[in-house]
Amino acid sequence: MFKNEEMEINLGPQHPSTHGVLRVKLRLDGETITHCKPVIGYLHRGVEKICENQTFFQGQVWTDRMDYCSAVANNLGWAEANEKLFGITVPRRAQYIRTLLNEFNRLASHLIWLATHALDIGAMTVFLYAFREREDILDMNEAFCGSRLTTTAFRIGGLREDMPPGFEKMARKFLAKFPTCLEEYENLLSENRIWKKRTVGVAMLSAEDAIALGVTGPVLRAAGVPYDIRKAFPYAAYAEMDFEVPTETAADTYARYLVRMAEMRQSARIIQQCLDGMPEGPVMAKIPKILKPEVNEVYHATEAPKGELGYYLVGEKGSTNPYRFHVRAPGFINLQSLPKMAEGGLIADIVAAIGTLDIVLGEIDR
Amino acid sequence: MNKFLRTLIPSDIAKGLAITGKHFCKVFFTANRRKVPFHIVSEYPEVVAKVQPRYRGRLTLLKDEQGEIKCVCCLACEKICPTQVITIEKGKKEGRKMPYPVRYDFEMERCIFCEFCVESCGFDSIILNHQFELATYNREDFSLGMEGLSQNMFEPSPVGKFSVADD
Repeated sequence: MFKNEEMEINLGPQHPSTHGVLRVKLRLDGETITHCKPVIGYLHRGVEKICENQTFFQGQVWTDRMDYCSAVANNLGWAEANEKLFGITVPRRAQYIRTLLNEFNRLASHLIWLATHALDIGAMTVFLYAFREREDILDMNEAFCGSRLTTTAFRIGGLREDMPPGFEKMARKFLAKFPTCLEEYENLLSENRIWKKRTVGVAMLSAEDAIALGVTGPVLRAAGVPYDIRKAFPYAAYAEMDFEVPTETAADTYARYLVRMAEMRQSARIIQQCLDGMPEGPVMAKIPKILKPEVNEVYHATEAPKGELGYYLVGEKGSTNPYRFHVRAPGFINLQSLPKMAEGGLIADIVAAIGTLDIVLGEIDR
Repeated sequence: MNKFLRTLIPSDIAKGLAITGKHFCKVFFTANRRKVPFHIVSEYPEVVAKVQPRYRGRLTLLKDEQGEIKCVCCLACEKICPTQVITIEKGKKEGRKMPYPVRYDFEMERCIFCEFCVESCGFDSIILNHQFELATYNREDFSLGMEGLSQNMFEPSPVGKFSVADD
């Protein structure tokens, strides 16, 4: 009388909890997921190809639009990859300001992760509080770069302008109140029984699987692998900063939550050090008006909020455009682990799995 | 027993409720006193939104003290623009040594507000103004030029009521 039949459903591409236009094909046995396949490409714009047809200077505006929640981190990777290609040394003050802005951006990105992840799972309050703090960071972005999300913050060889007057005051004011805000979020979530039921033991990804799939960032660190590019291959001014790489061993959604919360504390520490130890001097190196590469190819990896963000640039001799441009987007590679996390679990938990990966579809589809 | 008590008395949820309650009280008791504003949001369309001095708004052509257009058609902005939204036609004008832009077209619909054009300009003849309310009703209104009464490269765009087709 009752037949057992597997059901196929689509999650997305217009589902509010898929964080963009991600479509996930699911095969269900009752409420258990037996097969899960993410389908991407709905936001493909061909950023890599567009950048190949533009000069090195112009390419930066496209990196803003890849991971729009952490545009500054994307800009930093682009600027540093180009500096590596052209052999430019950036002044020390510019390095410090870059580190400062990058860490603020990490805070903004983690806050938006916390907000949307909590909202997906059902904690509405955190969403509003996290966006309140993110607003301050976006205001700082606006004060420094002139734009809130698509920052175009850096230039090849340094910065366009020095810090605006009043910026340091804004930053210090934010840092003074941020620890209490973090405590607020933790009081709301960390011990909450609903939050724990939805996250502890959900969407497990062991360290072996994470390394085999190339997963980086907080997802890898929550599995107990202390790999952070800021420590392993320091760039910008991270070599001079004193910070820790938080890790957890549980490898579930709750562990990733703890890692990201600890990371926010470390980011605040780095910002404090940047502000206190800010050196004087110029912010822009002397660079030629038209950039023509000498070295042929370069790969530069940075620790974006979501994981390892790598830029691969091939220069052609005598050309002002890159011959080949490739992005190793952290979200794209991390998304590979979604089937591993979701298969065998309940359908309600796939929302937690997508949220915990912290994906941005602009970066995945490029 | 301990676990049973914890299930019975939801202290963790009370902890969360205390925070929301604190914020609610803060806003509720300061709402009508102007001295202690605790509002995080502002009532935007009624209260004018402030932007930072470096804000990147719409591209604007500048004139000097004599009312002459500062642009000398070096085409630097046209070349640097990542989305090719600027088109300049070079020309001559009586009593002016430098070249004069006969046409300076700006396709606002494709502009990404990166400020590369302003940065490349060696004559300080263009700026991005602080205007961010740039919506219009017609697609043609996004093509800006040097002519036209309301939607040109010199004046800020009209806000709200606006449609060129209407006037």
